[in-house]
Amino acid sequence: MNAIDGTDRHTKVDEGPPPSLLTIVLDTNPHAWAHLSSSLPLSTALANILIFVNAHLASGNANCVAVIAAHSQKACFLYPAPTHVSKRRENGTANGDVEMGGTSDRPPHSIPDNPNKYRPFSTVETAIVNSFTKLMEETHEVDLASTPTTMIGGALSLALSFIAKTTLLHAPVTSRADDMMALADSETTQAQRVPLTSRILIVSVSGDLANQYIPVMNSIFAAQRKRIPIDILKLAGDTVLLQQASDATGGIYMKPENPGGLLQYLMMAFLPDATARTHLVMPSAGGVDFRAACFCHRKVVDIGYVCSVCLSIFCTSQIQGNLCQTCGSYLSLRSAQMNPPALIPKKKKKKRRVGQGTDSATPGGSTPVGSGTPMHS
Amino acid sequence: MSASSSQALEYLEQLPLQTHKKLYEQPSTVLAIFRCMLPHLAKSIVMALLYIPQPLSSFDLDAWFRPSASRLKKDSLYILEKLHIVEAKPRDTSRFTDYSLAPGFSKSLRQALEGSGRHGSFGVPAPPTEKRKVTIQELDDYAQGQWESLLFYMVGSTVGFHGSVGGDIGEGTKKLLQGGGFVAKNHGKIGITRTGFMFVLQDTNAQVWSLLIEYLKYVDNLGLGMSETDVLSFLFMLGSLELGQDYSTSTLSPTQTQMLDDLTAFGIVYMSHKGAKTFYPTRLAVTLTSDSGALSTTNPNEVVAPGTGATKKGFIIVETNYRLYAYTNSLLQIAVLSLFTKLTTRFPNLVSGKLTRASIARAVQTGISASQIISYLDAHAHPQMQKAVPFIPPTVTDQIRLWELEGERVETTNGYMLKEFQSEKDYREIVKYAEDLGVLVWRGDAEKKLFVDRIEQLQDVLKRQAARRR
Repeated sequence: MNAIDGTDRHTKVDEGPPPSLLTIVLDTNPHAWAHLSSSLPLSTALANILIFVNAHLASGNANCVAVIAAHSQKACFLYPAPTHVSKRRENGTANGDVEMGGTSDRPPHSIPDNPNKYRPFSTVETAIVNSFTKLMEETHEVDLASTPTTMIGGALSLALSFIAKTTLLHAPVTSRADDMMALADSETTQAQRVPLTSRILIVSVSGDLANQYIPVMNSIFAAQRKRIPIDILKLAGDTVLLQQASDATGGIYMKPENPGGLLQYLMMAFLPDATARTHLVMPSAGGVDFRAACFCHRKVVDIGYVCSVCLSIFCTSQIQGNLCQTCGSYLSLRSAQMNPPALIPKKKKKKRRVGQGTDSATPGGSTPVGSGTPMHS
Repeated sequence: MSASSSQALEYLEQLPLQTHKKLYEQPSTVLAIFRCMLPHLAKSIVMALLYIPQPLSSFDLDAWFRPSASRLKKDSLYILEKLHIVEAKPRDTSRFTDYSLAPGFSKSLRQALEGSGRHGSFGVPAPPTEKRKVTIQELDDYAQGQWESLLFYMVGSTVGFHGSVGGDIGEGTKKLLQGGGFVAKNHGKIGITRTGFMFVLQDTNAQVWSLLIEYLKYVDNLGLGMSETDVLSFLFMLGSLELGQDYSTSTLSPTQTQMLDDLTAFGIVYMSHKGAKTFYPTRLAVTLTSDSGALSTTNPNEVVAPGTGATKKGFIIVETNYRLYAYTNSLLQIAVLSLFTKLTTRFPNLVSGKLTRASIARAVQTGISASQIISYLDAHAHPQMQKAVPFIPPTVTDQIRLWELEGERVETTNGYMLKEFQSEKDYREIVKYAEDLGVLVWRGDAEKKLFVDRIEQLQDVLKRQAARRR
């Protein structure tokens, strides 16, 4: 009778791994790629990434992919290609954010019929290559001159919003009415759904992202909360920020010695999805640099000043009007520094006397003493 | 890996090296095998090995896998070696093994990923013509009609239904179903067999695969000169085609042209007339190399697969008092339900009945197992039922199992008994190894006997032990 056991009642475990969504953020900063051009030209890198994308699509039947370019002056989708404004009106969907939902929309240009290529692969490839060419054509020298860095922050938020949207769309929809039910008892229904596991891969070539500290950090925390690992493939340059991103979200950090072997790095380290990663030893950043960048000058600081209200970091105490730039609270930084701790010994005595009178071990009585100690030394 | 592709995997595993080598010449075949036959970790291994310049030693491989995953690693490598995808060569003067991909496989997989070569194995689209193209809806209708009439042929005659749902099925198909043991002729009347039941209760994707594997065996026995590899690679090619696109028949081999007629009869491909210059793959074909789950795509407007259409929606309500209501008017579904339910009433869009001891016992006698019934009910549970976890009331599932157990109290496992070990140490080693592999069914420490359900992997250890003794 052991066979009739409550435990094997819902044995409907899905055998296959859950589908995974890979969002690649490709740093397309022309400055940085120009530096790399001797060992790894951008075209080769793109070709390698396309093969990697195909390999990812082949690894699971329901796997999907999104590619976002973090360019020098903007971040934009390479795949799925954004639908055009005029087309959007035709469709009649008026909910503003259709732009990034173009998963099923075919790009307007036709895909060449190639009998030597698996059709889904060529669809993705054509779209990526076309939007990439378009992006490069639209880049003017003026844009490049203005900034040497790349819009990682914007690209990360695009990636996160795309993942959020795809996850919602992917959840099996039973019927419209059931959505309300699902909202009501989300605890139970969530467990039923086959989740879409998502991850972000940042192929980064440019350094110094400190001027985007705040948006990037916010994206990292959002990713951490949503349990989306951020993998970093650092081909050139070094930034504190991205290392922290992979560390905080449990992603992979790799800084290959030899950028020429890009494809093998991608295939071996970055291809396994969340399911496979539970069984594999994945490379990660050894020592992580946890330094933060200040909010006032976007510099990486070792020791800084922190606003007691909103925890913003500043590298100097000379803030305009003694008001925190982020939250506007009045910070009496100067008074804290100026006032000598002259009164503290007196206070101490007083407290002791009080302590002798009543219970000496009250926590309230001991706190000022504790706070006074560092001033003594 | 879904249940459907595991059948195909089993079939593939037993093919000889030569057949594998020939199969791997086609990039579409290689890609299809990679996509849907291999276990998840095996895919990671293959991809890691694909572009690596020198072989990967077992030492590095061990370092790559977590110690807790060693069993999974062993399983993956076993399948890869069995399919002749990975070649293992012992490295001289050390105890490590070098792993590399079979050259043919890696070449084809690279071609598939890169889209290089001029093999045309992903189907040559027909040149655009003036003629009207067949729409996807028409293809779906056709496929569904053909497939349902095939299923109805098996089920309907057993439960005594008359008439047909789509149209009559061809003589060849009938022969194939009999040859595969899905139906048997009893006193001149067609009756469904145990394998047939299993077939009917599977999801559509798995059904297509089982039928095609029977077909493979069938053409092999018939000796029509149709080569196995040709047939297989054509099937894999069909899986990678695009729905709604017509393809030219001009590049197909004679075997494959011959196959087209049979596949048209199953509803897997559509041809406007016999000997047409173009063919359309139907949804049954294009989902061959993908899980049926892959159909629940992000696009809500997408038409669901034929046959599985009702599956996706779900139509069965089972109450704790064993009453069953099924919102369907499909003759096929009613026929399947009547295999294990005592149906009482039929309305235009609803049938109702009851699961009784007698009805379950009858089903069990004819060869359906309780778990098959439960999984059928589970898979087709009405959305209203799907809000509870588990979908089917536990009391009902338990009772169905109990009813089944009344009939059979002995469980049998086919396998191998190992006994008469030379030493306690040998025995321990084998038991440990068998346990690690998950093939151990029973062990008797006192008599140094054990029973395993698969022996292939154990043989290496046995040989090693024998060699040590000598």
